[in-house]
Amino acid sequence: MIAARHISKSFPGVLANQDVSFDVAPGEVHSLLGENGAGKSTLAAILTGLYQPDAGHVEIDGVRVSLKSPRHGLALGIGMVHQHFRLVSQFTVAENISLGDRKQNWILSTKKVEEAVREIGERYGLPVDPRARINELTVGEQQRVEIIKTLYRGAQVLLLDEPTSVLTPQEVTTLFDSVRTLASEGKSVIFISHKLGEVMDISDRVTVMRDGKVVGNTSVTDTSREALARMMVGRDVDLSAIRATKPTGTPLLEVRGLTAKSARSQVSDASIVVKAGEIVGIAGVSGNGQRALAEGIAGLTPPVGGHITICGIDVTGKGSVAARKAGLSYVPEDRNGTGLAPSLSISENMLLTEDLPFLVNHKSAVAKAEEAIGAYSIKTPGASTPTRMLSGGNVQKVLLARELGHDPQVLIVASPTWGLDVGAVEFVRSKLNELRNQGRAILLISEDLDEVRALSDRIYVIFEGKIVMECAGEGADVTTLGLAMAGASA
Amino acid sequence: MKFSLERRREVKPWHLIGVPLLSVIFGTLVGGLFLEATGHNAILVFKTMSQTSYTTLYGIGDTLTAATPLIFTALAALVAFRVNLYSIGAEGQLFVGGIFASGVGIAVGTSSSALAIPAVLIAGVLGGIVWMTLPALFRAWFGTSEIITTLMFNFVALFLMRYLIYGASTYWRDPTSTNFPQGKKLDQNAWLPRFGTQSVHWGLVLALVTTVGIWFLLRKTRFGYQMKVLGDAPNAARYSGVPVKRMTFTVLIISGGLAGLAGASEVAGRAHALDPNGLAIGLGYAGIIVATLARLNPFGAVIIAIGFGGLQNSASALQSLGTDSVPSAIATTLQGLILLLALAGELFVRYRLKISKKVEVSA
Repeated sequence: MIAARHISKSFPGVLANQDVSFDVAPGEVHSLLGENGAGKSTLAAILTGLYQPDAGHVEIDGVRVSLKSPRHGLALGIGMVHQHFRLVSQFTVAENISLGDRKQNWILSTKKVEEAVREIGERYGLPVDPRARINELTVGEQQRVEIIKTLYRGAQVLLLDEPTSVLTPQEVTTLFDSVRTLASEGKSVIFISHKLGEVMDISDRVTVMRDGKVVGNTSVTDTSREALARMMVGRDVDLSAIRATKPTGTPLLEVRGLTAKSARSQVSDASIVVKAGEIVGIAGVSGNGQRALAEGIAGLTPPVGGHITICGIDVTGKGSVAARKAGLSYVPEDRNGTGLAPSLSISENMLLTEDLPFLVNHKSAVAKAEEAIGAYSIKTPGASTPTRMLSGGNVQKVLLARELGHDPQVLIVASPTWGLDVGAVEFVRSKLNELRNQGRAILLISEDLDEVRALSDRIYVIFEGKIVMECAGEGADVTTLGLAMAGASA
Repeated sequence: MKFSLERRREVKPWHLIGVPLLSVIFGTLVGGLFLEATGHNAILVFKTMSQTSYTTLYGIGDTLTAATPLIFTALAALVAFRVNLYSIGAEGQLFVGGIFASGVGIAVGTSSSALAIPAVLIAGVLGGIVWMTLPALFRAWFGTSEIITTLMFNFVALFLMRYLIYGASTYWRDPTSTNFPQGKKLDQNAWLPRFGTQSVHWGLVLALVTTVGIWFLLRKTRFGYQMKVLGDAPNAARYSGVPVKRMTFTVLIISGGLAGLAGASEVAGRAHALDPNGLAIGLGYAGIIVATLARLNPFGAVIIAIGFGGLQNSASALQSLGTDSVPSAIATTLQGLILLLALAGELFVRYRLKISKKVEVSA
């Protein structure tokens, strides 16, 4: 169907793809597995025509082609569903699909499009109301619209870029059913992911990439999760569950009836307790109030209602400085932008949560930064490098080094391993576990359910800003959690 | 051949200096072509410009005098711009600073210079602050665009100032100037001393001291650090606990005070009276250009202000070039050309031009 032959592509200073060969047959689901920065996205961009390869070429049905643009790629039957949807939220489904559709007259008529959407929906098991506005749809439905959009334009090959990252477990199941239908109808699906379980579930074949090179190509029946993990990382990894080994102590963080708003995130009447020596997970689909919860507790946004007590001190509505003084540290999801000022150097960023005197001592900040660089083995040219120049893992290390340097009693971490490579994930997890063993209270807010389950001693589920479920971390059932995350009352 | 812009991976120090230098040289060359095309002797024009502004003692003196208010207004702009507050109100704040300063300067009467001069300068700062207060309050607490409000206030200030001299017989108007109304002279004690016979006055020294002060504030203090965080990432500032609204207000007030000081320095140092025509020459707006070209660096602003002051200064000299006089419109065009290219050149600090041969396409 589509094949990449000996593709190489470099960007200044990086060899993103090195002699990469890859092919998909009609009716096949082929996964592209690799860590962040392994070269998956570059390969996808070349296959869809966004980038041109430096060497090598793309073949469609055995014919060598040169894709000039994504539009050209689509005309030849290659469509991509991006991780972040490209939909106009005020428009209806049909209007979105009409956008950029060259078949349309200058007077827009969505009638035919509506029919086509229904037809495609029925054929591939992607039901969606063509007249619904995007902002009325769930994330899973929006993704369906993206898939329908590419099919409507005649895609024979679909590239799905990390399609499950925004979905609940149930939505993932539905998506996978559609993917199987697509394949059975003769379409080729390229499934880009770094999640081993899903790759094992859905694919016929897997191509594993590491450091810009293909390191393995195998049928799923001939491999195992462990073997794929080893291929992907280049060594054995252990990301199995870790729980508290000691009994928990007194409550260090008590949140009662918190109602708060932050940007587009909202939390209402949330009550949470985290005791010394435990990690408490907040599971939930992205955008269900996690940010308001974290910012409300950390004092970044003034609560509308409720009480927050940190280490016995009432900090309700007193702001982030008061929360910090009471013993709280907050590692936000948005690392470069909230947790760090991206254009400021590492050393300047070390001062961000410090109690500063009138005259700032930049020399001691440099010393502190250099110490952190050593202790956390942060890869950087120096302490004066802006944090936006660092890779995801190193950014998180800077942030953790600074926050853990305050020796917090209570730590809130939001999506702490999101976008990190496996080595960094292991590092962050072991740090969190270490803190738990030291008797600190940790609130882990994450959209990655596997992570919440692997680390938490207790789990709360958040849905539309409300805590809808609480259970023990040990033996927490994915289906039950998933239903709660989707808002089904237990 | 295909041209495309590519982001520089690293901005090196020589880019920061070399690029603007090349831009100015290029601007001068294009300006020269323009002069030749309009029938002027480009070499003579540039020679006159350099003589009247940069090479003779008197020329340098006039340039420095012209640069003095620009340093203040550039500082006013850069302080606000650093935290993404695009105040363009320095113009109006300068006028009101001038009104306050001249008011006090006329009133101080027989007191000594040691009292009168600080009183005039403080009055100027207060005037600028007063004029910035409403826009700053509205920006900080209600999010009203400071661009719009400060711009509107500029016009109000301009007409207020004109009214005080031309509109009615006010306290600021010289009662003896019946033919053409003029501002009443400040008491001599309130004049900023000059350096010998030069037009250069102590306002220049004040501007340089203020520059060092602003640099210190930005670079060494907690306030400056918080400004840097706020300017780079407002969410990080919120996270850090910076009182964002108060900070926004304070920064704008500082900006207003600096612009007001420009007015005081002009009134007490140059005109010795409230002089609407001499003040309303776009000093506030020019300060924005100076600050931008200086990349919001205070010391850079001093250097650019001096260059800019010279350009401004030379325009009048070009008109009196005898047989080959250059009309003021052309002199202004020349200024604009050099500035425009200097601003456009800024693109090449961050980006580089990539020329690639067209790739062979086979289908």
